[in-house]
Amino acid sequence: MRDIVTQFICEAFPAGAQGRRIEGDTSLLESGLIDSTGVLELVEFLESRFGISVDDADLVPENLDSIDRICRFLARKGAGAAPADGPARASGRLSG
Amino acid sequence: MNEPRKSLAIEAPYEAGRISRFIADQVIHRFRRRGAVVGLSGGVDSALVAALCVKALGPERVLGLIMPEKESSQASEPLAMEQAAVLGILTERVDLTPVLTALGAYEQKCRVLQGLCPEYDPDTDRTKITLPPRLLEQDRVNYYSLTVEKPDGSRHSSRVGPDDLREIAAAQNLKQRNRMIQLYHRAEKLHYVVAGTTNRSEFVQGFFVKHGDGAVDIEPIAHLYKTQVFELARHVGVIEAIVQRQPSPDTWSGGVTDEEFYFRIPYDQLDLLLSAWGEGVPAEEAARELGLSAAQAARAFREFEARRRATWHLRVAPPSLLEPWPQSVMEAT
Repeated sequence: MRDIVTQFICEAFPAGAQGRRIEGDTSLLESGLIDSTGVLELVEFLESRFGISVDDADLVPENLDSIDRICRFLARKGAGAAPADGPARASGRLSG
Repeated sequence: MNEPRKSLAIEAPYEAGRISRFIADQVIHRFRRRGAVVGLSGGVDSALVAALCVKALGPERVLGLIMPEKESSQASEPLAMEQAAVLGILTERVDLTPVLTALGAYEQKCRVLQGLCPEYDPDTDRTKITLPPRLLEQDRVNYYSLTVEKPDGSRHSSRVGPDDLREIAAAQNLKQRNRMIQLYHRAEKLHYVVAGTTNRSEFVQGFFVKHGDGAVDIEPIAHLYKTQVFELARHVGVIEAIVQRQPSPDTWSGGVTDEEFYFRIPYDQLDLLLSAWGEGVPAEEAARELGLSAAQAARAFREFEARRRATWHLRVAPPSLLEPWPQSVMEAT
């Protein structure tokens, strides 16, 4: 789950992620990795990839502003393990 | 450490004189033009700029261009006309609805809105999009909600996804960009400048359209926060019905305020916070002075910083590889 989320963030927002190590607690918004429209893209991805429904009330930084928070949010939503055919990557660093 | 300001009060007579001298100097000596054209929206910013242009140039050298379209508030045009009459300036009216229709602006927006709300009827329903309210009270990320109001008063609401939001913005921004085209057409024909109406609250947070209302020759009130605009507007005699109006982009038939649409903070608090943030006052210090919690001020500052980052390109010339030329070549003396 963590690897899938990290890979999505690195690939969907490459300008922000380029050359940076995204730690689990890195603020995605404050660091400039993603902007407000990017959050909406992230939400769409979480909904489609993990089969969850993100309500308006869920749209708070506490749930979405770092990879750690996203993983905890997904766990609370019962997202469980990622589908077997999902992408996976160990590192959060983009090489360039 | 910089101190946060508890008041943004201005010395209105001095400021009116300073701006009118700026306008006269720019129009006559720098641009060497005969007058100024102002897009009169029926709102306080354009009314103030028109009044200051009259003070600077005289009413016979100011043209008010009124450019309604079918989603404008019905109140806007009469107010713009009334303000022009008070100032004694000539006006011209251009209905933008036909050109926006020809460009597909309404059709594109309608398609997106019907995708979000299949019951939406563009002929009868009123619509608007809004951000979560009360930023200082609740920590929510920015997402837009579409509200469709049926003639019977019933409302349907749905969240706008990123692709839909981009398509809506692209269609909506055709409005401001076509206003720019109309303004420059009149300005070139009359040998006038286009006087902009963007204020400081809008400028620093990127609340204007690139090559739309941001494309002008001079920006007479870009140094004034919105609360200062209200103060100066009263001083120069902007009609009270305009001063009392809720500030709005006036591009949605459902009537949306600037606070609902963009800022999420009332202007009186917004401007004080923006001023503190802009002057480098720490959030904790600003919170103490403004009677907010540290978390509230920090949240506002985070929002300001995110908007500054997202809209930087609106405030600069297009990046290029052109080497800097001597100022004497690039600018008139």
